[in-house]
Amino acid sequence: MSWLAGTFSDDFARRALVEAVLAGGLCGVVGVHVLLRRLPFLTVALAHANFPGAVLAALLGLNLLLGAGLFGVLVVLVVVGLGTRDRVEETSAVGMVLAGAFALGVLLLSAQAGFTKDLSAFLVGSILTVQRSDLVATAVTGTLVLGVLAALHKELVLGAFDRGGLAALGYPVAGLDLALVLCLQLTLVSALPAVGAMLAVALVVAPAATARLWTDRLGTTMVLAPCLGIAAAVAGLAVSQHVRAAAGATIVLVAAALFGLSLLLAPRHGLVSKLRRSRPPAGREAVSGDAPERGTAPAAR
Amino acid sequence: MSELVLEPFRLPYMQRALAEVLLLGVLTGVAGVFVVLRRLAFMSDALTHTVFPGLVVAHLAGRSLALGALAFGVLTAVLFTLLAANRRVGSDAGMAIVLTALFSVGVVLVSRQHSYTSDLTLFLFGRVLTVDRADLVTTLVLAVLVLAVLAVLGKELVLRAFDPEGSTAMGYRGVVLDLVLNLLIALVVVAAVKAVGTVLVVAMLVVPAASARLLADRLAGMTILSCAFGVLGGWGGLLASYQLSVRGGLRLAAGATIVVVLVACFLAALAVAALRGRDGAQAAAP
Repeated sequence: MSWLAGTFSDDFARRALVEAVLAGGLCGVVGVHVLLRRLPFLTVALAHANFPGAVLAALLGLNLLLGAGLFGVLVVLVVVGLGTRDRVEETSAVGMVLAGAFALGVLLLSAQAGFTKDLSAFLVGSILTVQRSDLVATAVTGTLVLGVLAALHKELVLGAFDRGGLAALGYPVAGLDLALVLCLQLTLVSALPAVGAMLAVALVVAPAATARLWTDRLGTTMVLAPCLGIAAAVAGLAVSQHVRAAAGATIVLVAAALFGLSLLLAPRHGLVSKLRRSRPPAGREAVSGDAPERGTAPAAR
Repeated sequence: MSELVLEPFRLPYMQRALAEVLLLGVLTGVAGVFVVLRRLAFMSDALTHTVFPGLVVAHLAGRSLALGALAFGVLTAVLFTLLAANRRVGSDAGMAIVLTALFSVGVVLVSRQHSYTSDLTLFLFGRVLTVDRADLVTTLVLAVLVLAVLAVLGKELVLRAFDPEGSTAMGYRGVVLDLVLNLLIALVVVAAVKAVGTVLVVAMLVVPAASARLLADRLAGMTILSCAFGVLGGWGGLLASYQLSVRGGLRLAAGATIVVVLVACFLAALAVAALRGRDGAQAAAP
């Protein structure tokens, strides 16, 4: 415990700790929706596409997060527009926008001096230099995003599982999609100063995917995912302080390690329990697990 | 006019750069057709990121960059196959986690070096102007290998793209074909990495093929057009970057300029397709 206290004794480290908790929790909740909708690739694309916006904002002397956010919204609209065309597959559209926007950012940046340093800060973040204003920005966007997600929770979940049903009930499906993607975009932008564009993706996807391995219930996933996100962010920050490695990347590695462990050890969906189940049933198996679930498990595999 | 177009390529380093991007244009043009048909854009993007730590390790160990990239490309392909087998995770979530985790390994390793930021940008964006003869040979060998495998297995891969059940019913092993294609994409990424960097390879794979798909109905035509777009983008990008940097006083990174030219080609193809009415609006309501 004193080891932890020692790690977070100065002001930089304490601000970084607050940012880690805020970003980890927010990304965890949003990640559950991302996984339900199968949006990880869009998340990666948005993270790349925020880049030219941030560069433009830096060139024009505007707020970095504002520039990244606005440009990201533009990119979302382009992806949605291209994806509805007949001969352009949605994945290709996303891939193209991702690469094109990123190249545009590199191009803008390469025309400037001080090219390399800004770039790496943007990509992998620098959590130890977050300002009080960054913390406030993260807290405000976090409250906003969580509020929207809570208010629209039922509709968003229904849309993830049964789009046709949602449309039949008279909900504006496209509007709900857009609301979710905008929430995702806000989350990515607010995590930018801490973990950078690339690695914000990991904080969104990994804790939610880990939580899904441990529980089948959506409510539990919604609680577990942010807890895992916060745990990964704080632990990663502490480890990076001690081994002197890039903080954002260490956070991601901790999140990925949690996922890897869960993949092996999770009670129902883990590899170990699957191997055990694939053996001829022994008597003790009847003790664990409820009957209907066991009935469906082999069919699912 | 010819002075403007040909003069830059009298310089030896520009000649090598041109040879490299023309080779890559053909290679990514052909491989990209399969990426677009099989909707593997995310897979390619993930591979370009996971190859990054391989480059870093090879750089630190003083080994060939291509070798390190190759090792991590194969590792990634295996990890994806393993994760895709777990239905609870979903292949896209698994890919996103592998992508960011391996990328982070690279960043952690680089962050412990002194020349942190400059190394990072080299790996991410490449330096096509510093390509040497050995790099050209590596690219050539990989290109011949990939194109040969694609020529041999092309029919089976196309069948798997359009009719996976039919392909399985005919006795082809789907997992093996998928693994082969993923490994080929990994090889393309390795071939392109020194010139355009890990991040922009995905543009060279996806954009020319997607442009070609807008204009061509037949697979052969799409492949040829895709190569043409790749070559055009490589040549035009190099030229634009050189002329603007030397005459315009505007320093532009060569790799990024190539991608921007490719995207411009795509937009032109989109406009042509719209004018010819092929990109039917009636399909907007599926």
